[in-house]
Amino acid sequence: MSEFGFESERVDRVTAALAVGEHDPSSSVCAAGAAVVGVRRAGVALMAAGHTLGMVCVSDDVTAALEDVQYSLGEGPCVDAYHARAPVLAGDLADTERDDWPAFCESALRVGVRAAFGFPLMVRGICIGALNLYHDYPVTLTGEQLADAAAVSHVAARTVLRWQSFAAPGSVAWQLEGVPAHRAVVHQATGMISVQADVSIDDSLAMLQAYAFAHDRAIAAVAEAVIRRTLRFD
Amino acid sequence: MSRERRLMDTFVELADTMVDDYDMIEFLQLLTERCVELLGTSEAGVMLADGAGKLRHAACSNERMQIVELFELQLEEGPCFDAFRTNEPVVSAEPEEVARRWPRFAPHVRDGGFESVAAVPMRLRSEVIGALNLFSSHPVALGTDELRLAQALADIATIGILHQRAIADARIATTQLEVALESRIVIEQAKGIVAERNRIGVDEAFTLLRSYTRSHNRLLAQTARAIIDASLDPSALAPAD
Repeated sequence: MSEFGFESERVDRVTAALAVGEHDPSSSVCAAGAAVVGVRRAGVALMAAGHTLGMVCVSDDVTAALEDVQYSLGEGPCVDAYHARAPVLAGDLADTERDDWPAFCESALRVGVRAAFGFPLMVRGICIGALNLYHDYPVTLTGEQLADAAAVSHVAARTVLRWQSFAAPGSVAWQLEGVPAHRAVVHQATGMISVQADVSIDDSLAMLQAYAFAHDRAIAAVAEAVIRRTLRFD
Repeated sequence: MSRERRLMDTFVELADTMVDDYDMIEFLQLLTERCVELLGTSEAGVMLADGAGKLRHAACSNERMQIVELFELQLEEGPCFDAFRTNEPVVSAEPEEVARRWPRFAPHVRDGGFESVAAVPMRLRSEVIGALNLFSSHPVALGTDELRLAQALADIATIGILHQRAIADARIATTQLEVALESRIVIEQAKGIVAERNRIGVDEAFTLLRSYTRSHNRLLAQTARAIIDASLDPSALAPAD
């Protein structure tokens, strides 16, 4: 019997390709996921209550930068896939008819990414994040590719929860240790700004995001400046 | 209403109960009541295996049945146990046969006012999660059709239970992951607050948070949350000099 309409053959093939049994879930998993579907780049984000908790993996620096943009702006295929609990397909970001993520599209096109796709990470009806796929040329995914991408997100979601199910209560599975790490500076800066501007943590994060957006800088870079105390918010 | 129509209604009703606001006890209660109606037995009961594989009482169509089932559990002998162990239906239509097969349990069956017993395993493929007991106050030989129907009702219930358990497991793991990851975030935010308030670096702020946490026998995330909700003054962390 297949689970959630996936042919078990496909799931087996994807599981083998991702080699998620024993290995560290770093970029190799995402690179393999992109290769399975036949696109250039991939990233897996964990989300809760609509915001990103962090990245399980990214296939490369361009993907890392784009995930950062989605995190800063709160818009993009990953965010939409999470909220819609359904795949989000943008085969050509240069299509002038598009009006859903203006700022994300601009950033993506600038780093040479032309197509973006988001697939929710669903486990038993619960959405825990999203798989992002990026390609450097306009592309329409075939039925096979869509099914493979859905299988990759399915395997990734199950893998994350399997890892976590072995973790001690209150701790993060060792494979997921790095998930919030590259955001550490952002959260530290958020704490500092909340003192400087005397605002709540949420408002402080919004101020940081707004500053990064307005000055066209990566949120992590702005956060670094706050921590080095070369930038203040009071 | 025709039997066929009642049967259809029951399947729809059971499937319906599984979707929203799923309450396992209510669902199993409904199953036992419908079994009585559709199979013509006097009473029905469900036993489910716990995490250690030990059968436990789950639901019954009435009180009298429940008492007999509790004796069955105590003695670890009876149709439910046999169905659970063998993954096969069990039928004993006559009191004499009941006495022969389960000598210690048979007197309790009689005292409960039952003469014939039957049970079907609750299974999905090779996994057996419990059994459905069907007791009657008169000698009843459940035929092939009735047994098949009993098994179908048990199967539908089993799928519902396994599905529900899987959702619950996933939800627990998801929640734990969220809490654990959120804790990381909260700790980073607290480092920033402590650093800014005490005009020190974030590494130094972390050292302060850690030593405060240790000396107050707390968790790091607890100290961090206290800093963020302002119930703990960041400057109180700095060692007095």
